[in-house]
Amino acid sequence: MYRLFRVAQFTFRELIRSRMLYIWVISCVVFCALAFLLSILSFGEVHKIFMDLGLVGMEFSGLLVLILSLAVTYNTEFDQKAIYLQLCKPLTRGEYLLGRVLGFFLIISLVIISMGLVIGGLVVFIGGGKVGLLFVDSTIFLLLEMLVLTTLGLAFQMIGTSMVGVVLYSMFTIFLGHCIGQVEWLLSQKLSNTVKMILRVVHFFLPNLEAFNLKDRIYDPDLVLGWVQWREAFLYAFAYSFVVFLIGWINLEKRQFE
Amino acid sequence: MTDPTLAIQIEGLSKTYKTGFWLAPKVTQALKNLSLDVREKEAFGLLGLNGAGKTTTIKIMLGFLSPTSGAVKILNGRISDQNIRQQIGYLSELPYFSRQHTGRELLEYFGSLHNFSGKDLRYKVDEVLELVRMTKAANEKVSGYSKGMLQRIGIGQALIGNPKLLICDEPMSGLDPVGYKEMRDIFIDLKKRGTTLFLNTHIMDEVERVCDRIGILHGGELKKVALVSNILRSSVEVDYWVDVDPQDAPKFIGMPFQATVAEKGGFHIRGNELPETLATLNQKNIKTKGIRALSSVMEAYFLKTIGAQAMVPGRG
Repeated sequence: MYRLFRVAQFTFRELIRSRMLYIWVISCVVFCALAFLLSILSFGEVHKIFMDLGLVGMEFSGLLVLILSLAVTYNTEFDQKAIYLQLCKPLTRGEYLLGRVLGFFLIISLVIISMGLVIGGLVVFIGGGKVGLLFVDSTIFLLLEMLVLTTLGLAFQMIGTSMVGVVLYSMFTIFLGHCIGQVEWLLSQKLSNTVKMILRVVHFFLPNLEAFNLKDRIYDPDLVLGWVQWREAFLYAFAYSFVVFLIGWINLEKRQFE
Repeated sequence: MTDPTLAIQIEGLSKTYKTGFWLAPKVTQALKNLSLDVREKEAFGLLGLNGAGKTTTIKIMLGFLSPTSGAVKILNGRISDQNIRQQIGYLSELPYFSRQHTGRELLEYFGSLHNFSGKDLRYKVDEVLELVRMTKAANEKVSGYSKGMLQRIGIGQALIGNPKLLICDEPMSGLDPVGYKEMRDIFIDLKKRGTTLFLNTHIMDEVERVCDRIGILHGGELKKVALVSNILRSSVEVDYWVDVDPQDAPKFIGMPFQATVAEKGGFHIRGNELPETLATLNQKNIKTKGIRALSSVMEAYFLKTIGAQAMVPGRG
């Protein structure tokens, strides 16, 4: 456990000190500016604009930091072979991978939570509104989505043979993971068996990122968010992450560092 | 077989790489039936040209690659065993470290992977920084380090777990003469402390001064294993360069080095031809200005083993 936490701490420190966090600051400023701009056009709904755009900005920033971190660390760990010096130590490959996942997740959580605090401040102090419980719920669901995507991205790192490949796989998964509803709709249509079979495989393997999407329903009066929904979201996020982590771990164990 | 006096046992190791498309795969045999033993507290040098299979051997030893056939035992165990990895140190060629950390932070991280914590970790890091002469620059970011400093932090991370066996892949790569000497001194010091050294290198001077025994790998095959002391005492022919006065060039008419003498003021000669040639020069009343060995005994031995000739200018 000690080594695992040291890997996580090292990863966190490596990422927080890297310049990619400036990009997060820029995106934070851009989204806030955009919210201000749009709030001028709104009629008494300023806090809603801040809330909606803020949640989109939080997801966007988290994803941006994830993708950039995956690209940068693939370069250092695999292309520059920094991983060699760690794996020859008495550290298991499972500890290494889990430590990386924790380090990544910590930095992305920090990005999302700190941006959430900024958005909350804007809603209260400038928009004159209240930060409802649903905003907090949406943030937690967003963090669950990031846990799934972080584990998936790092599993791709263990499988992929190039930085570009890892980034493309991750972006493709993020895009398709948000299109699960469309895939389900396609499956209900009259299509050839081959197409349906492909769609079923895609539906089975892809993460259902819409399961964590509360931001689009934050003002939905029909939204029910009880114990069952929370349990399902947590179970799905952790179960999916666990399986993906195992796949990544097996790949790292078998990986040939040619 | 288990022999407690052996630090490394390699038996019948072969490695084949397949590259290219599945319709026309290209097969490269990086290692061919390599068998080798390295004794405890021994400094062993694995010599070879680029692409000879040295790095592949180390990668298999450390578990980064699976062999096509054969087996490796490190400290009488398997590298997959954490207790074995606790006892080894590894320095890769041109090691890369996260540029966002200081030298001390890096050593603390690598030390913690060896289960050091708290006071023990700080004490160990200070000790290693002292050993690799990096105490002063320990709190500077790695991004500002020179190649030599990076290499010293590299050796530091390899030593932080008090390794019984230190495996280094081209440890002198990219070092300037001062860095090279410092690194060599560290190896000599480690040898005195009883650490088993396994060095992949093609720098002959390093081998002569540090290693007890060498193996020569060429085209994936282990061509020879010999004691350095025996090689240095052997009658391996060393090539020489004989300096003469260029104005004496006309006296060389009929001799094979006439053109080189006129152009460069000297000529290259094989060791076994030296006495006879000097006698001829004496007969013709030609004075030599100096005679220099073009290669060390070790280099000559290496070149002879792999069947190559010394790269010398203006071979006469």
